[in-house]
Amino acid sequence: MPKYGDHKNFFPIPEDADDFEPGKGDFVVEQKDEKGKFWLSKPVFADQEMSAQDVKRAT
Amino acid sequence: MARVAEAVKYRDEVIEFPLEYSEENDIPDEELHEHLARPSTERTKRLKARCRYKHTATGEFVDPNLKGGIERMRFLTESHKETVGQPNAIRRALGLANILNKCTLVLQEDELVVGFNAEHPDKLPLYPETSYMTVRDYIESKNCPEEREEAIECNEYWKAHSIQALGERYFSPEELLQMYQFTSMEPPAFANAYNSVCPPYESVLEDGLLKRIEMAEQNKQNAMDTMRAENWNAPERLPLMEKIDNWDAMVIADKAVISWARRHGRLCKIVAEHFETDPKRQEELIEIADICQRVPAEPAKGLRDAMQAKWFTYLICHSLENYASGYAQKEDKVLWPYYKISVIDKSFQPMTHQDVVELVECERLKVSEHGCGKNRAYREAFPGSNDLFILTIGGVNADGTDGCNDMSDAILEAARNIRTTEPSIGFRWNAIGREKTKRLVFECVRSGLGYPSIKNDEVAMRQLHEKWGATQEEARDWALQLCMSPGHVGRRKTQKARTEGGGSLLPAKMFEITLSDGYDWSHSDMQLGPKTGDPRDFKNFEELFQAFSTQFSYCADLVWRAKDVTRYYQGRYSQLPFVSSLDDGCMEKGVDAMVLSELPNPWHNCMTNIVACNSLIACKKLIYDDKKYTMDQLIAALHANWEGYEKMRKDFVNAPKWGNDDDYADEIVKRVYEDVFAKKFKTITMYSGVSPMPGGQAVGAYLFIGARTGPTPDGRYGGEACDDGGVSPMAGTDKKGPTAVLKSVSKINSSTQKFNLLNQRLPVPLMRSTHGFDIWHAYMKTWHDLKEDHVQFNCISTEEMRAAQKEPEKHGDLIVRVAGFSARFVDVSTYGQNTIIARHEQDFNPYEFDQLGVEFANA
Repeated sequence: MPKYGDHKNFFPIPEDADDFEPGKGDFVVEQKDEKGKFWLSKPVFADQEMSAQDVKRAT
Repeated sequence: MARVAEAVKYRDEVIEFPLEYSEENDIPDEELHEHLARPSTERTKRLKARCRYKHTATGEFVDPNLKGGIERMRFLTESHKETVGQPNAIRRALGLANILNKCTLVLQEDELVVGFNAEHPDKLPLYPETSYMTVRDYIESKNCPEEREEAIECNEYWKAHSIQALGERYFSPEELLQMYQFTSMEPPAFANAYNSVCPPYESVLEDGLLKRIEMAEQNKQNAMDTMRAENWNAPERLPLMEKIDNWDAMVIADKAVISWARRHGRLCKIVAEHFETDPKRQEELIEIADICQRVPAEPAKGLRDAMQAKWFTYLICHSLENYASGYAQKEDKVLWPYYKISVIDKSFQPMTHQDVVELVECERLKVSEHGCGKNRAYREAFPGSNDLFILTIGGVNADGTDGCNDMSDAILEAARNIRTTEPSIGFRWNAIGREKTKRLVFECVRSGLGYPSIKNDEVAMRQLHEKWGATQEEARDWALQLCMSPGHVGRRKTQKARTEGGGSLLPAKMFEITLSDGYDWSHSDMQLGPKTGDPRDFKNFEELFQAFSTQFSYCADLVWRAKDVTRYYQGRYSQLPFVSSLDDGCMEKGVDAMVLSELPNPWHNCMTNIVACNSLIACKKLIYDDKKYTMDQLIAALHANWEGYEKMRKDFVNAPKWGNDDDYADEIVKRVYEDVFAKKFKTITMYSGVSPMPGGQAVGAYLFIGARTGPTPDGRYGGEACDDGGVSPMAGTDKKGPTAVLKSVSKINSSTQKFNLLNQRLPVPLMRSTHGFDIWHAYMKTWHDLKEDHVQFNCISTEEMRAAQKEPEKHGDLIVRVAGFSARFVDVSTYGQNTIIARHEQDFNPYEFDQLGVEFANA
C-alpha cells in the first residue's frame, strides 16, 4: 500500500498547531453521495501505510 | 378549496373569519402544511433539501443508511487501556482528548456552522462505557458499525467496567426484573444510560477556554501550595487531592477541545485552497477557519463566533464527552450580546437581522442532523424525531425586564420558515412579554409546528425561588432542561445529569395491577408490585384508592433509589471534566459536575396518569356510588378485554371524565396529583438533600406503555394508547370546550407539581383567520391568569392527517406535536398517528369567546 505522505491529499500539520507532531498531517478526501458533497479529515502520519478504505476514498 | 370558519354573532356583531393569507383560499385542506415552508435563502433551501435526519419510527431509524460509528468507541477504549492506574477523572479527560485528537472530522458543503459528532455524516457515536446492553443492541441490528468485530471487542471490554454491574448489586433480582419490564416504571439509569445536561454556554462565550484553563491551573497551584505548606494537616489537605485531579482533568479536556476546534479551521482552509472552486464559498470557508482558530479558545467577539463556539460546546457536552439528550439553553439571552455587536452596533461580524435568521435556520438544520446511539426504548419514546432538543426563549431577564428581544424573534422566524421538528422551542409566557414576539409565537403555533410549547413564567420562577432556594435573579434565569422542567441556566448551578431530575413512573400500569393484587397478568406474567389485596374484598373506594397509592409509593421509592445509586457511580466513573471546566462552581471548588449540586432541581415524570385517574373515577361512580356493577364483574370484563361485555364497557366509557370541569371527576384527579404523587415525593430525600417534585408528561411513552398495559376501567382496551401527557384529557373525552379544560386543570395546585403538560388541539380555519391571534391571545391570558403551568398546541386538520396516512411521500413537511416534542407525522407509526387524530379539536364558539373575554380587533 502507498504511504499517506506520498499522497496529494496529505497536508502536513503546521509546526505552530496544537496537535503538531513531526510527520503528522491531515488526510482530506472529498466524498459525494445522493445528499451532496462533504469532506473528511483524518489525522495520519506521512510514513504510515494508507488503509484500503482511504485508498478507495481518495481515488 | 380551503375551509373557512363560519361567521358568528358575538356581542351584537357579526364576526367573519376570512383567512389571513388570502392565497391559502386556493390550497386544499389536505395539503396546507406542504405550502408553509419558506427557507429564507437559497442556501437554507439547499440545506433543508439534503438534510440527513436521524429520525426514528417505532424504534428503528427511518434512514436505512445510518450506522453506528466505531471511532468514539475505539479511541475511548484505547485510552482507557493505556491509562490504568490514573485517577478516574483524569482517565475520563484523557479519553475525551484521545477521541478529539484522533477522530475524523466532517465538513459539509454550504454550512455556516461546522462540526459533527461522528466520522461520517451518516454515522452515530456509541457509548459502551455507559451501557453495554445498548451497544450490544446496535451490534445485533442493521445499524451495526461496519467494523463489527472491533465493536464487539470494545463492547465486551466495557462490560467489566460499566456502572450497570456496580449499580445492580444494590437491588434484589425481583426488583431489577420489575424495573427492566419498563411497564410501571422506567429501568434504572445505570442500565438505560439516557441522560441530559445543561451546559454553561455563557462561560465559554464570555471567557473562552484559555481563560478556563488558566483558572484551573491557578486553582491547582494554590492547592499544591497548600499541600506543601508546613505543619501537615491531613483532614484539611487530603480532600485537595481529588480537587487537584479534577482541575488537571479540566485542563486536559479544555486543551483537547481547543485543538479539535482548530482542526476544523484547518480543514476549512484546506478545502478552500485545494477543493472548493467557487470564490464566494472559498471566502466563507476562510472566514470559518478564522472563527474556529479563535473560538472556543477565546471569548466570542460577534454572533458568528458565538454560534460556532456554542455549537462546538454542544457537540462535546451532548455527544463526545458523554451522551446527553436535550438542547437546554436560554438561547435569546445567550446570543443577545452578540446580536447587539453584530446587528445593532455592527462592530464585529456585521450582519442584518435577515442574516441572523439564515444563521438560525442553519443551526436548526445542524440539530436536525444530530443523532446519538441511544437506547432503543428512547428511540421508541420519540417517534418521528431524532431526540429531545428543546431551547427556551422569552420570559424575563435576571433584572426582571422583558426577556423577549430581536434574537428571540429571529429564532421564531427561522423556525417558522424552515419547518423542522428540531429543535423544539419552549416559550416563557410572562405578563410583560412584548406582543411582537408573542405574535411570532402564534405564527409558529398556527403553522402547525406544535411548538413553541408555552410555560407560565411566573409559576416557574416562583418554584425555583420558593422550593429550591434560587435567588430572585437566579430564578429569573431559567430554561427547560429537557421538554418540560424549568431549571436555572447560567455560569454555575445548572443541572448536569438526568439523575438529578428525570425518569418515569407509569400510573396506568400501576392501577391495572392494583386490580390484581400487584400481579401483571396481561403482559409480563409476574408479581410486578407489592401485594395490596384482592380488590373484590375492598369495602369502599378509599380502600381501592389506598391500594393504588401503595403501588405508586413502592415504585417511587425504587426509582429514586436507582437514580441516586446511579448518581453515586456517575460521580466516580462517568465524570464530565469538560462540562465541569465550564461551571464556575465546579471550577472554584474542584468538584466534578456529576458530583456537585449547588442548586437542586429534582423531579420525576409521572406518565399515563389520566388513564389511572379516569379508571378510579369510573370505579367510584359505577361500583361504589351507583353500585351498578360489582368489582367481581369488572375484573371478569377486564380479563376478557371487554369482549362479551360491550354494554358494560359503554357505561365505563361514559362515566365522568377529566377535562370537562366536572367536580366529581376533577376532585379525584386533584387527590391523585397532590395526595398520591406530591405527598409521596415529600417523603423522599434524594441525592441533593431535598425532596423532589412530580411532573406530568408523556413523550411517546404513552404509545409503547399503552401497548404493555392491559384493559382498564376507563373503558380502554388492552394495548391501546394511554393519555398523551401530564394533565391532558384522554383523547376525545374533553367534550365541554377549551375553557372547561382550563378550569379542570386549574383545580390542581400547580405549586405542588414540577410541571404538568397540557396538549390541546386548535381548529385550523379559525386560527389561520384574521382573528386567530385575538382568540388565541385571549385563551392564553385566561390560561396565564389561572396560574396553569403549561400548554402546547396541535393546529392541523384531520383531513390533512388522513391524506398523509394515504400518501406519506407527499406530506414530508407535516409536523405534529406528540407530547414533549414535535415529530414528522409520516414517521410516526399508524398506531401513534391515530392517537393524534383522535385528539379533540376544541370548538371556539361565542360562548367560549365570552368565557375567554375575546376582543376582536377591527370587528
